[in-house]
Amino acid sequence: MLLEMKTITKSFPGVLALDRVSFALEKGEVHALLGENGAGKSTLIKVLGGVYQPDSGEILLNGERVSFPTPHTSQQKGIAIIHQELMLADNLTIAENIFLGKEPGNAFDTKYKVMLKQSKKYLEMLDFDVDPGQKVGDLNVSEKQLVVICKALAYSSKIIVMDEPTATITQHEVGKLFEIIRNLSGKGISVIFITHRLSEVYQIADTVTVLRDGHYIGTEPVGNMNENKLVKMMVGREIENMYPKYNEPQEKVIFQVKNINVDGLKGSVSFDVRRGEIYGITGLVGSGKSELALGLFGARANSFEEMEINGHKIQSITSPSDALKNGISIVPEDRKSQGLILPFDITTNLALPNVKNFGSFFNVLWKRIKKRAVDEIKRFNIKTPSENQLVKNLSGGNQQKVVLAKFLMQKPEIVIFVEPTRGIDVGAKIEVYNLINDLANQGIGVILISSEIPEIVSLCDRAMVMHRGEKVFVLDRTELTPENILKAGTGLVENE
Amino acid sequence: MNKIMRGFLVFLRRNPALVGIIGVTIALSIITDSFLSVYNIINVFRQTSIMAIMGFGMTMVIISGGIDLSVGSVLALSAGVSASVLSGGYAFLGILVALVVGAAAGAFNGFMITKGKLQPFIVTLATMAIARSLTLGYMQGMPISRFPDSFTFIGRGTVAGIPMPIIILLSIFILSFYILKKTRLGLYIYSIGGNEEATKLSGINVDKYKIYVYVISGVFAAVSGMILAGRLNSAQPTFGTGYELDAIATVVLGGASLKGGKGTVYGTLFGALLLGIIKNGMNLMGVSPFYQDAVKGAIILIAVLMERKE
Repeated sequence: MLLEMKTITKSFPGVLALDRVSFALEKGEVHALLGENGAGKSTLIKVLGGVYQPDSGEILLNGERVSFPTPHTSQQKGIAIIHQELMLADNLTIAENIFLGKEPGNAFDTKYKVMLKQSKKYLEMLDFDVDPGQKVGDLNVSEKQLVVICKALAYSSKIIVMDEPTATITQHEVGKLFEIIRNLSGKGISVIFITHRLSEVYQIADTVTVLRDGHYIGTEPVGNMNENKLVKMMVGREIENMYPKYNEPQEKVIFQVKNINVDGLKGSVSFDVRRGEIYGITGLVGSGKSELALGLFGARANSFEEMEINGHKIQSITSPSDALKNGISIVPEDRKSQGLILPFDITTNLALPNVKNFGSFFNVLWKRIKKRAVDEIKRFNIKTPSENQLVKNLSGGNQQKVVLAKFLMQKPEIVIFVEPTRGIDVGAKIEVYNLINDLANQGIGVILISSEIPEIVSLCDRAMVMHRGEKVFVLDRTELTPENILKAGTGLVENE
Repeated sequence: MNKIMRGFLVFLRRNPALVGIIGVTIALSIITDSFLSVYNIINVFRQTSIMAIMGFGMTMVIISGGIDLSVGSVLALSAGVSASVLSGGYAFLGILVALVVGAAAGAFNGFMITKGKLQPFIVTLATMAIARSLTLGYMQGMPISRFPDSFTFIGRGTVAGIPMPIIILLSIFILSFYILKKTRLGLYIYSIGGNEEATKLSGINVDKYKIYVYVISGVFAAVSGMILAGRLNSAQPTFGTGYELDAIATVVLGGASLKGGKGTVYGTLFGALLLGIIKNGMNLMGVSPFYQDAVKGAIILIAVLMERKE
């Protein structure tokens, strides 16, 4: 056994984050660590990484008892942690990032040539053809991940921990990443893989360990597990349907746009959404779907030939306030940077787009907003001690519910959901799906923009697939299969 | 009673400047016999008023995530331009001119920052230089003096024994407090500093409200200029030199974060009073003026360190 963590307990004021959790890792193994938000995955990883000290329990590395008082000691013992927020300096080159803190040469004479040559070697190990002298800021997320992996290799790491590496990259890039993980595992490097997506566990992992509410639930070879069993271990109860769909689209078109062009996109797009319909938009990263969402919401410069909402002609949408006024609302892609003000409380966050309905410019009726916040917390089932809780202290799923409450308070005609379930756990996901169905059944037109193909396939009545800023295909409910979407999304089929 | 006590203790912990005020007041009352007198306390407030009023404007700018380095020069420019009207005997018109000049300078800052997409530090640094130079040019480097009594009243007069600068200080304090606490603008100022992108996506015209904030800062600088000119019965082209740094210091002492999204006007008032009391105390104790700024610098560092421990 390469690594054993035995009966690790860690508590924070008021919370028992890990309760006698054990974890074992073989050499060359790919080990998935599964669990909902708050299950204790990150705490366990932080104990392994030397960020937290366990209250009790022991860590054995190659059978030898070790302790990691600092992140540095953990790193020295060959453990590399790749966080979801990739810790890279955008303004430095790839080589400089790989060797940051252990540059060859001495303090007065850095051997840049050695650095570049060594970097090239690591990059080649990953089949990553790029000039190591290039600035990291010019790379996309998936390429940055590779740089971080090179950095781990440069530390001659034996264990690489990846914290949700697939959350921010495309399906295609996930495939490439998995090849690299297999390659590493072939070289005897062990990988601990944290993810929310069950399908990935089957694709890549040998073994899976499930945690729930700080408890160790079990470790099994992946071959022994089916999806229902895994979900049950994670959630603690049987889940009948991961993707509930019960909306009933009506005949009447509620939203229609002709040839909308969004700043930064090459092509233009036309489509319409009916009342009660869930209309999907998908495509790879770079296909332009996020830009289109911001364009429709007026947060990006746009122009269109015609737009109609509920029979009314719209002349222009030049700002989010225009969009909101005309009944278009959005649930933005990144709740942390676009949806919420993290250091503020729930009440203030809910107030932001809706404050106009509470008193005048010179007299905001905060008491009424607070009362409304309490109602919304109940309505959206937001788990929080009070409406005064700071949003940054909520779990991902509950944060997302605050975003939903905030943007749905004004009874929109059209709601654009952009990656609404990214990084939230199974329970919260199902709540979001139910909410989407409910909204549709109130006669609202839902536009669901997502890279999660199962989501699009299971929830949407129709879906548009985008490629390089243009609509390449619209698939009906009957044609909505993962294969069709992938084919269309990679541009393999001709424009319809 | 217990609850009130606990509330007060929490309030103290969040406002290190207030702790400082209490501590320094006790110390100075023991060390000197002239500090704790009604006359001296009123004196401290009066001397603090200019710094505090500029600080209130700066508080809003800093909460919104910006900075305004131009306030000292804008104070001088508004006082200088209005002085030529004031010395003609038109008190009301003179004050109006000063406020308009302050607002215009603030609007200029706001436009360059939002529509020009420039960093507030750079824009207001430039305005600081431009406004100072225009002041010197307009006044030809000479003071303008002899204003009507109805004007000097705002710097020297008293109402019911309270000096006008203190009345103006308290009025502006209440106004600023109200703006931040009760108006939509206040919510937007906090939210722009907390997360500008999220504020924009909430359908709020961020540019407009940012401009408002710099206009307010400019107007408050002009108000300070009026108090100063009224007190001295003269406007000088060197008015307000270095005041921007004092204003920033009061805001930081008051617990605001230069990253934005956080801060209060009462914090700033405490910050200004703390600096005022320490200056007054050092004068009473005969500390050499050469070393006074070193003490000021040390106080700022201590307060910020205390706050970070929170």
